[in-house]
Amino acid sequence: MRIAFPALLSALLAAEGAARPPQASPDDREGIDFFERKIRPVLVEKCYSCHSPQAKILKGGLRLDTKDLLLKGGDTGPSIVPGDPDKSLLLKAIRYQDEDLQMPPKERLSAAQVADFEAWVRRGAPDPRTGVEAKADPSAGKSHWAFRKPADVAIPPVKTAGWAKNEVDRFVLAALEKNGMKPQPEADRRTLIRRATMDLVGLPPSPEEVDAFVADRDSQAYEKLVDRLLASTHYGERWARHWLDVARYSDTKGYVFQEERRYPFAYTYRDWVVRAFNEDLPYDQFLVQQIAADRLPRVGDDKRSLAAMGFLTVGRRFLNRIEDIIDDRIDVLTRGTMGLTVSCARCHDHKYDPIPTKDYYSLYGVFASSVEPRDLPLIGTGQKTPVVLEYERGLEKLKAELEKYKQDRLAEKLKLHRTARSIADYLTAAAEAAALKDERALRDFGQQRDLSGHAAVRWHEHLKKAGPKHPVFGAWAAYAAIPEKDFAAKAGTVKLPEGANPLVAAAFKEPPKSLREAADRYGALLAKHDRGEALPDPHEEALRQVLHAPEGPVAVPLADVEKLYNRKDRDGHRAVERKIEQHKATHAGAPEQAMVLNDAPSPVTPRVFIRGNPRTPGPEVPRRFVSVIAGDDAPAFKEGSGRLELARAIASPENPLTARVLVNRVWMLHFGQGLVRTPSDFGIRSDPPTHPELLDWLALRFVADGWSIKALHRRIMTSAAYRQGSGDVPAYREADPENRLLWKMNRRRLEFEAMRDSLLAVTGKIDLAIGGRPVPMSTNPTVRQKMEAETIRNEGGGDPTQESFSRRRSIYLFIDRQNLSGTFRAFDFAGPDTHSPQRFQTTVPQQALFLMNSPFVLEQAALVAARPEVAGGADPAARVRALYRVLYGRAPAAEEVEFGRRFVEEEARRAGAVAKDAPAWQYGFGRYDESARKVEFRPLPHFTGNSWAGGPKLPDPKLGWLLLTAEGGHPGGPAHGAVVRRWTAPKDLEVSIEGTLGHRAPQGDGVRARIVSSRLGELASWTAHGTDAETRMSRVEVKEGDTLDFVVECRKDENSDGFSWAPVVRAIETGATTGATAAVEWSAAAQFSGPPGKPRRAQGPWERYAQALMMSNEFMFVD
Amino acid sequence: MGDRREFLKQLGGGLGAVALSQLLHEEARADAHHVPRARRVVQLFMSGAASQCDLFDYKPELVRRDGEKFDPGGKVELFQSEPGRVMKSPWTWARHGACGKWMSSLVPHLARCVDDIAFIPSMVSKSNVHGPATFLQNTGFVLPGFPSMGAWLGYAFGSGRANLPSFVVLPDSRGFAPNGPGNWSAGFLPAAHQGTMIGVGRPNPIHDLFPAAGGFAGPEADRDTLAALERLNRAHRAGREGDSNLDARIASYETAARLQLAAPEALDVSQEPDSVRRLYGLDRKACAEFGLRCLVARRLLERGVRFVQVWSGADNGFPRRNWDSHEDLARDHGEMGESMDQPAAALLLDLKRRGMLEDTLVHWTTEFGRMPCSQGSRGRDHNPFTWTCWLAGGGIRGGTTYGASDEWSYKAAEHPTAGYDVHATMLHLLGLDHERLVYRHHGIDRRLTDVHGHVLRELIA
Repeated sequence: MRIAFPALLSALLAAEGAARPPQASPDDREGIDFFERKIRPVLVEKCYSCHSPQAKILKGGLRLDTKDLLLKGGDTGPSIVPGDPDKSLLLKAIRYQDEDLQMPPKERLSAAQVADFEAWVRRGAPDPRTGVEAKADPSAGKSHWAFRKPADVAIPPVKTAGWAKNEVDRFVLAALEKNGMKPQPEADRRTLIRRATMDLVGLPPSPEEVDAFVADRDSQAYEKLVDRLLASTHYGERWARHWLDVARYSDTKGYVFQEERRYPFAYTYRDWVVRAFNEDLPYDQFLVQQIAADRLPRVGDDKRSLAAMGFLTVGRRFLNRIEDIIDDRIDVLTRGTMGLTVSCARCHDHKYDPIPTKDYYSLYGVFASSVEPRDLPLIGTGQKTPVVLEYERGLEKLKAELEKYKQDRLAEKLKLHRTARSIADYLTAAAEAAALKDERALRDFGQQRDLSGHAAVRWHEHLKKAGPKHPVFGAWAAYAAIPEKDFAAKAGTVKLPEGANPLVAAAFKEPPKSLREAADRYGALLAKHDRGEALPDPHEEALRQVLHAPEGPVAVPLADVEKLYNRKDRDGHRAVERKIEQHKATHAGAPEQAMVLNDAPSPVTPRVFIRGNPRTPGPEVPRRFVSVIAGDDAPAFKEGSGRLELARAIASPENPLTARVLVNRVWMLHFGQGLVRTPSDFGIRSDPPTHPELLDWLALRFVADGWSIKALHRRIMTSAAYRQGSGDVPAYREADPENRLLWKMNRRRLEFEAMRDSLLAVTGKIDLAIGGRPVPMSTNPTVRQKMEAETIRNEGGGDPTQESFSRRRSIYLFIDRQNLSGTFRAFDFAGPDTHSPQRFQTTVPQQALFLMNSPFVLEQAALVAARPEVAGGADPAARVRALYRVLYGRAPAAEEVEFGRRFVEEEARRAGAVAKDAPAWQYGFGRYDESARKVEFRPLPHFTGNSWAGGPKLPDPKLGWLLLTAEGGHPGGPAHGAVVRRWTAPKDLEVSIEGTLGHRAPQGDGVRARIVSSRLGELASWTAHGTDAETRMSRVEVKEGDTLDFVVECRKDENSDGFSWAPVVRAIETGATTGATAAVEWSAAAQFSGPPGKPRRAQGPWERYAQALMMSNEFMFVD
Repeated sequence: MGDRREFLKQLGGGLGAVALSQLLHEEARADAHHVPRARRVVQLFMSGAASQCDLFDYKPELVRRDGEKFDPGGKVELFQSEPGRVMKSPWTWARHGACGKWMSSLVPHLARCVDDIAFIPSMVSKSNVHGPATFLQNTGFVLPGFPSMGAWLGYAFGSGRANLPSFVVLPDSRGFAPNGPGNWSAGFLPAAHQGTMIGVGRPNPIHDLFPAAGGFAGPEADRDTLAALERLNRAHRAGREGDSNLDARIASYETAARLQLAAPEALDVSQEPDSVRRLYGLDRKACAEFGLRCLVARRLLERGVRFVQVWSGADNGFPRRNWDSHEDLARDHGEMGESMDQPAAALLLDLKRRGMLEDTLVHWTTEFGRMPCSQGSRGRDHNPFTWTCWLAGGGIRGGTTYGASDEWSYKAAEHPTAGYDVHATMLHLLGLDHERLVYRHHGIDRRLTDVHGHVLRELIA
């Protein structure tokens, strides 16, 4: 459904549309769309007021608001007969055929609307509406199936003998039989091993593994396969990634203003999850550790389980707003583990589920009573390997740098604050500010006068404490007490206090004319006594003490230096701090730390925030578990924050949700759809389970098996239901397009990680190392990725032709939630902002483009084609067979071999005719010889990574400023001739040329550009001086091997001769080769490249063939 | 590069045609709540917070009290500074058009368009931090994870024509605004609705549209590869009937091939007459960049793209490359204003000339405004309390001003207006009721306008 209905009605439209994954009804989308566009709006507007729970009195016992009830009909029988409008009562009614049955009673539908209903019924009445669409009754909420404990039901009897392999199958089969359906036969062995291997380890099986399984005659061959896969260390990686979707994992904090954006140790959580799956950590402990590992008793020195708490702490940081951070934690916890949308109750009681706002704040209190320690605990082995020592040395150095920065700033500030001018300023400010009461106002006051707010406060307080009798400042107090307008008149009457410092007294022998003058005198007097050493004269020493005594107004201790900072100082300080954070985040020797929470020293009693606003606190609530599970008078948590008690309440066999939610997630990942299709919402408005009894049975067995996820995999995967073929049965598809009854296995498309890992795996060069810091997808980011990811923008240049890619599994790629890479986004990667229940599966052209053109895919195709068993094949047929074996794990049919052979042959022939080894562009210098009409071309010797030049430094001792970049360059001086970009024709062609010669500087005398053909000599020339010149040629004939030189020379003067000129050569296709306008072009900028050899060259025929095989549906889907 | 027509022709009769019709079917689903006035949107987003009181919001008070203490009453809360003195705009002001709207001399070209424009000088924002505030104007929420307006339209009307994406974003060539591509994310909607970023002027304007430099194998070769792929997929599909996911994926290669043809054509402004290129200022260095993007935006709209977002300004950095003029407003706004003024005006004129302005909604906006007092001596700090956006075309009543700021341009005084109201109005003009365009997520029916939003009928012609 695209567009929903008014809010008034939205409550009625319970399980429909919005939350439905897009693949929900793939088979008759057209029909469903028709229903949504034409039928549902009419039902809602014209029928629901009498035929849905919206009606005060339900008319005729008929409800039209769910598919089932519509079909069931009312008192007079079924309302429609799908496929046959004429036998359908509903049609009779809306056609106004029968005087006794005319609907809607007051207003006849339009002829078009009636026709729509006819068309819809004829089509079989496709209708996506499921479930109970009645508005939730809050009091009835707690009797909702998901909030009751799973029932231990009997295994249902089945009629068909011999199909069921375990109890799972009996549930599935019973439902199929009830609907008159039969399951599909078991898939063949190749399909099974690929399915099981992709499911459990996320990598395709090797050809040897396929052969061995196909040949295994053991009756337990399949069970052995499942066991082998479960024992693989790569199983943990595959399933950890599924859990990381739940845990909204990311390696960064999201939007931050100035602080370091990375979480340096998020990976320790990711690695813990991998290990937990591999070790089959019982799921209850898996949860408890993630919520409260800090509170668990520890055996021995192994602190690694502390990393589990990343589950709570790797969320977005919301500019450090604590309410949002806690909200994110409540959400990931409740939806992730229990399928409860508790976050909905942040501002008001949950609209549908029995979750009052106070429950939200009960949980809020648990997290508000938990803190992240400043220093995260170390969880590594603590071994001092060389790299660790190097890290520590680096850290010490940076810490020393920070210390020095602070000391320097302090010295600088103190020096400033001991000057006469500064002292006078602070004294004046203190007098003006005397009326200001709180410290904050004082600080602001100081800052507004360009003074240090902290220093102003210190002066103010010091003077207040000193009072009118103080030997040094008594005089000041007296002067400051005189109102401004009376100052001149009254200053002479001031009497200095008894015991006044004689030096002060001497300074005020003559009365000052203004308070500022008094301040200036103090300033001068005190500054005069600013000495490092104590002074022998006690009066002089008293003055010196004002500036140097630790309790005086000026001598701020080092610990407080940050309080004296201005903006520039703060930025400088932060810059050094960031270096420290970056060092910790990136250095390979940085010790592993766990992102824990700890209980706060004293827990807080939370208050409800009215409408979610922390500034409008409501009543207090205890920290305790949610009432829908624990009851309305659940006891308050007693230990610390209550986090451990919360964890235990979630991971309890008594909790009706936890086991069901997990079992459903695992089922979903094996079948493509869960038994409950809203995997993180088991609330009132969720989709009811397709097999409620099976769900309960699995949940109970799961707990009875000690919460073993591996046992659950075994139970599901050894069922006949899982082993079914994925073939089509048109009649079943018609009846159950979503395959809710599991009459076949769902075919599934590889999601991003499985796709990328498979592409890497088939090259034979995947790096299967486990764990560690995240790695960037590309080791040498191209311009395109630099534009994409702020984090890598400043890290080195990019020659796109030199780009190479990480060969690690995708789970180890760096995930930046703020700037998620476009590749991730194009492939429906789980958005790391919030908990992700299920991946979308959209199909967009950007995915196709990635597979067609991305350097990554081209590289993998080249590596596949270069595998010894492929490249070394005895003949083309053998090479085709090798490719099928490597990529698909099967032998090709005869016609497939023939097709592949012919494809490659054809391409090779074409390649021979078209592509030469010579690159299209070369970069050099040389003079244009007017008499010979030729360019003496010599290649430029040095490539910097983004430009060609005489050497690494400009100007080069020999070749001066000669330079060529993608966009332009510099022609060097008269001695060098000119800079030359050379294009070589790959075949006989007619081409056009476009480009703009640009010269920006008004200085100098500009540049001259020519285009010179090796066949025809100079074709055209232009000059530019602070101007642009279009360098356009509409038609130039070239023969294969001819060159066109784009020559730029200085005129008389080589100063300010930087130019831009990136010509584009375009082929003008003529004749019958293609009917269309050809778009073949050679762009100097786009194709700019470094030395040949390393850069990618035109794909060979075998690479292209391999790529086509890798882009295919056979590669991307699992049957 | 890449001539795909042959390939498409080959597919014409077979499976390709079937899959294609399914793809095109999306378009047929386009559905509106009521008769729309506008069919497409172009949004010009000034990143960094463009100053209302230096562009559109004339305040004689600032001229009169220039240099005096800024004391509007109450505590003045700024983002990163203490309030400086009242600072008049470095530009002069004059009345323009039949409506007599005051405009600053920084935007002489836009000044000639005022009779087509409806200004809202009383915009307010919940946040004065760039990232969240930019999200707010794009998605209606300060937090990430929500769909931007272009994505909502994709959801409402289907994600697209066959040849070009329905939601296209043209970022500033110097980089992204805060939030990066999050600003045009599909949020919780399927990824198909996210904005497609086009790097105008780049060799590869859309990610992987063509092979990277050096990977050149020739269009015939590419075509052969796709033809081979099609054959492989067709063989694979035999025996796997009834699975639309297979067909959709086959079709996606055809769409990609069509995109390879359509995108370069749409981006090729050399096809435009010189007079049009000059209209957009492509001959002036100061505005050629933004001008190119505005011209490309018009070409995209003409070719069926529904929502084009054009960015002026990249992320924060020094020297300034966006509107965030904390240090030197005259210098930095001077540059940004000059880069934006002529192209934005050209877009309005050009659309009007082609009869497209009638059903094209033009929305000029930013994330918040700037303070009427100085920061340091020459800059202006953030102002979320009042700022200006404007709308034109697509059913908008030109020559109007809705709401007003106080005498300082410090706070909204009359009709304080949130982004929700602007979104609601835009959706309304597009034929959508903002309260009915909902998507259930996390158990909540989400809207672009959250729980807010009023259609501003005063702005509608």
